Amino acid sequence: MTVAIEYYVLLSMGLFCIGLFGVLTRRNALMFLMSVELLLNAANINLIAFAFYHGNLTGQVFALFAMALAAAEVAVGLGIILVLYRNFRDVDVTVPTTMRW
Amino acid sequence: MEGVFDYAPAIALFPLVAFVVVLAFGTYLPKKGALPGIIATGGSLLLSLVMAAAVASGEAYHETLYEWAAGDATSATGVEGVSFTFGLLIDPLAALMLVIVSLVAFLVHVFSLGYMNAEGETGLPRYYAGLGLFTFSMLAFVVADNLLMAFIFFELVGLCSFLLIGFWFRTKSAPSAAKKAFLVTRFGDYFFLIGVVAIAATFGTVAFAGDDSFVTAAETAIDGGDQLFGFDAQTWVTITGLLVLGGVIGKSAQFPLHTWLPDAMEGPTTVSALIHAATMVAAGVYLVARMFGYYALSPTTLAIIAFVGGFTALFAATMGVVKDDIKQVLAYSTISQYGYMMLGLGVGGYVAGVFHLMNHAFFKALLFLGAGAVIVIMHHEQDMWKMGGLKDKAPVTYYTFLAGALALAGIIPFSGFWSKDEILYDALIVGLEEPVIMAAYAMGLLAVFFTGFYTFRMVFLTFHGEPRSEVAEDPHPVGWSIKAPLLVLGVLAVVAGIANLAPVAKLAGVDITFLEHWLDGEYGAIEGLTYTAYGELLAYETSYIGSEQVTVLVAAGLSLLLAFSGAGLAWLLYNKPEPVAHTERLGSAGKVIEDNYYQDEYQVWLAEGLTLPLARAADRFDQTVIDGIVDGTSTASLFGSDRIRRLQTGIVTNYAALIVTGVIVLLLVLGFLGGWF
Repeated sequence: MTVAIEYYVLLSMGLFCIGLFGVLTRRNALMFLMSVELLLNAANINLIAFAFYHGNLTGQVFALFAMALAAAEVAVGLGIILVLYRNFRDVDVTVPTTMRW
Repeated sequence: MEGVFDYAPAIALFPLVAFVVVLAFGTYLPKKGALPGIIATGGSLLLSLVMAAAVASGEAYHETLYEWAAGDATSATGVEGVSFTFGLLIDPLAALMLVIVSLVAFLVHVFSLGYMNAEGETGLPRYYAGLGLFTFSMLAFVVADNLLMAFIFFELVGLCSFLLIGFWFRTKSAPSAAKKAFLVTRFGDYFFLIGVVAIAATFGTVAFAGDDSFVTAAETAIDGGDQLFGFDAQTWVTITGLLVLGGVIGKSAQFPLHTWLPDAMEGPTTVSALIHAATMVAAGVYLVARMFGYYALSPTTLAIIAFVGGFTALFAATMGVVKDDIKQVLAYSTISQYGYMMLGLGVGGYVAGVFHLMNHAFFKALLFLGAGAVIVIMHHEQDMWKMGGLKDKAPVTYYTFLAGALALAGIIPFSGFWSKDEILYDALIVGLEEPVIMAAYAMGLLAVFFTGFYTFRMVFLTFHGEPRSEVAEDPHPVGWSIKAPLLVLGVLAVVAGIANLAPVAKLAGVDITFLEHWLDGEYGAIEGLTYTAYGELLAYETSYIGSEQVTVLVAAGLSLLLAFSGAGLAWLLYNKPEPVAHTERLGSAGKVIEDNYYQDEYQVWLAEGLTLPLARAADRFDQTVIDGIVDGTSTASLFGSDRIRRLQTGIVTNYAALIVTGVIVLLLVLGFLGGWF
């Protein structure tokens, strides 16, 4: 028994909205990073679902790449957060605004 | 005489060397630099005489020495490429002018020993350097074989004029006069420059002589009925001719650009003699003679030249009548005499104009140097009312000055009579057919009366009667360096008329018009630059009163009568032991004349009342509209950027929100356009 494609899309959409909500509302950098991960995973679900639906493996391979990318991104992101904390004693993303004009 | 022309460049280069030497070492030289100048101009004079002899032996010289720029643009007449060169053109006219210029320059250098050195002037190296540079420029102008080279040296002589008028730069009036002379002549030269450019662009050549000269090209264009820049060839030749004439009018001090010359008398008298009487002022007239073939193609231009000349002759002569400063009288008489030359050339009297140019150079240099001698005698007093009685105390000065005065007034048989009479005769025979020329002739004829009057008023006030001041009773003696140039020029002023006794030749039927033969290329000549060649181009009709002989007699008789009556009136009024001024008898007319017909006033008004507001309006337009647009653009972008940069809050959440909003908007737009809804 297979699940219809719509449900995957709905799941992905829901996950994406949660991630977006997080990005737009959270001030904590860690939460921010997690929300970004959610966004990426929403995309991954979509890729795999459509790969299964179309019956080719390209999407799955692509999802693997995205996961590797996400891991790298988290590593960099955590590094940034550490530096942020060291400089501002805080991980609030609204605090460091000095790099604008 | 083969090969002598190879030395021709040295004529101009000698004074240039003198200029450099005097400028660099003048302070350390004996006589403060007079000697290099005298040697150089003496050398130029000798070489000029050799050139004249070579021309007399039947040769002429036309050679391009150096090409300094060449273009490949096609001219309006289809000539491909135009090249700008320095070259020499030594034909009878140039050879004659070379002798005149180098002779006067030499004599003025000698005279300067007495006028400047003996008077203990300071800054003499500067003075002699200026004279050297001037002589170089003037000689180079004379031998120029193309219009652009002529223009370059035309400007250089103007610069030297500026430097030498302002020689006494510590006074208030001299620098101001120098600036005025420079600006007024420059105003004319501006038109000259446009004219040069127009001629180069039209005909693709600026050469005076030869098959590829602009004169030949213009003749071909007129014969072929070409259209040049939207005009027919004839009109275009007139326009360009008039543009070049602008420079002539400025330099030769013709109405309305004559106002600088009387002020130029602020310079040393020697400078006035050399530059503002005999040579530089002659540059304008010489230029007309040089490109006479071009002017001969355009009757309109010639008529304008003749009319301006006739008018200036009368106009300036009337102003000379009321001046009290001896140099001022001479300045106005110079303007007036150049008016005669323009009249002569304008009526096609090429020989007559050049003849008067030569005679005038001699007698006016003589008169100016004589005035310089008088000024030395009078301890630098120039007011004629403070002189008087110098006749017995300075006989050499008196008799040479008198010779110059008789020549200037046109009294037979002095040189001025022969040339002035020839000009008036040429004007009369053309004037009988052309009303405009008749008017010009009438003015020129009337000017003879005034010339006679002011000349002898000057002579009587200066030399006759009783001394009217202490210095006049105890004059300063003058040395040989002053007397010798006066004597040389005095002799020339008396006898130079022999060169072309045209009335005698016509009446007696003898062939003694040497200058006419000279300019007509009976000796050496360049083809196309002869009196006959010019005569064929001229469109003037001539006629006689009765026969030719009667006309000659009428013209000569009229001008002599007027000259004698002018001189006689001066004799009646001023040849008394204690003469008094008669100016107030002229009433309000006298006031107008004393104020020089308000020429300066109206020109200042033109500058201040018209040009200045115009310039101010242009400035305001520039400051407000042009700058406003430029500033407005930058202000708007500055203001806009200042607003827009506030988007950059530095808060990463805001950026995310903006991106999301952007994507949503993009989706909605795509949706509406794509018809999803």
